[in-house]
Amino acid sequence: MKKELTISIFEVVGSPLCVASSDGQKIYDRLSAAFKDGRSAILSFHNVSTLTSAFLNAAIGQLYGEFNEEQIRALLKVKDMEPDDLALLKRVVETAKQYFKNPQRFDQAIQDTLGDEGNG
Amino acid sequence: MKFLLPEIRHDLKGFQSLVSLEAETKDCIFDEIDIDMIATSWFDADMCAAFGAILYRLGENLNTIRLINVCTSVEKILSKNGFLSHYGREKVPDRWGTTIPYRRFDVKDDRYFADYIENELIHRAEMPIMSPGLLKKFRESIFEIFSNAVLHSRTDLGIFSCGQFYPARQRLDFSVTDLGVGMRQNIQDHTGLILSAEAAIQWTTEGRNTTKNGPVPGGLGLKLLREFIDLNGGCIQIVSDAGYWRRENRETITRPLNYSFPGTVVTVEINTADTNSYKLVSEPATTDIF
Repeated sequence: MKKELTISIFEVVGSPLCVASSDGQKIYDRLSAAFKDGRSAILSFHNVSTLTSAFLNAAIGQLYGEFNEEQIRALLKVKDMEPDDLALLKRVVETAKQYFKNPQRFDQAIQDTLGDEGNG
Repeated sequence: MKFLLPEIRHDLKGFQSLVSLEAETKDCIFDEIDIDMIATSWFDADMCAAFGAILYRLGENLNTIRLINVCTSVEKILSKNGFLSHYGREKVPDRWGTTIPYRRFDVKDDRYFADYIENELIHRAEMPIMSPGLLKKFRESIFEIFSNAVLHSRTDLGIFSCGQFYPARQRLDFSVTDLGVGMRQNIQDHTGLILSAEAAIQWTTEGRNTTKNGPVPGGLGLKLLREFIDLNGGCIQIVSDAGYWRRENRETITRPLNYSFPGTVVTVEINTADTNSYKLVSEPATTDIF
């Protein structure tokens, strides 16, 4: 079995402020390369003070466009996260699953909006 | 040409006045534009972000801009926050530390923006004592607004920000403005959906709606901001294109503006006396995320 990879987000980003999509992309690139090599990964959020959905969408959300849920569940673990950051990550993951599951998402959103207007 | 600027408060009327300025000057090239502030008896400092963005665009069109007849009190506040330094005045020290400086950022300046927020907002001794939970949510919200501008505006002209702390009212106002395509156009380009400007703002703050269609999902930033402000008891105003959207006390109002803003303004008012802990009732397990 291949060795598990540990990625320190603080080390990759170089700051406790993990807010930029471009920084999230750096995490994604490492995770994607590890998964393609059949390696599992632990993402450590130690010393991270601030996260945004933009960062997490790029770092983790976009994994769902390349790997299926079972693969991600088997290969990715997170640690050292504050409870409210975990809650944000869960929302990002749920949004990403919806985003990649439903190719007609825009049509649905359009219908929803038009429906709302019709009722308004 | 000369434009008479009325008082500018961070409300619908204030934004109407700024879009009138934009409408009257948007075709000016190589012109001399005097903004006459003799009637500007009040200027909410956070509105410098939107005002500065309009003036910056005029400068890009090679116009010469002068701010004239600025009354003493307005000159004082706009000098303290560094706004008037862009128009020939000297910066005045902010003795009480209630201003959050006016700045312009390029879209790739996210690190610079982060430093600005940390140094000028979070770690300032003059800032109100906020609970750790509130401070964290507040900081996240500011970054969500900036990220939103970076990801969606498609602007080359930059992102403008400014803020003001009101100790007696226990409120902190902060505004981020971009000179991008605006929400209505962005939605139309990415989804084909044709909405009014104010309906477009509403669309971006609801449900799973997103204009993202690349490999990176999106569409959470403004919803998170809206949820936070609902809990905090503050207020959000968004102006984009010719639409105005305001949410306060969990109620939303939208209005059309007389003219278009050349981008998007997001302004938040934070209740700094908020004592919510922002702790979750049930904490998600790390094994239950993916």
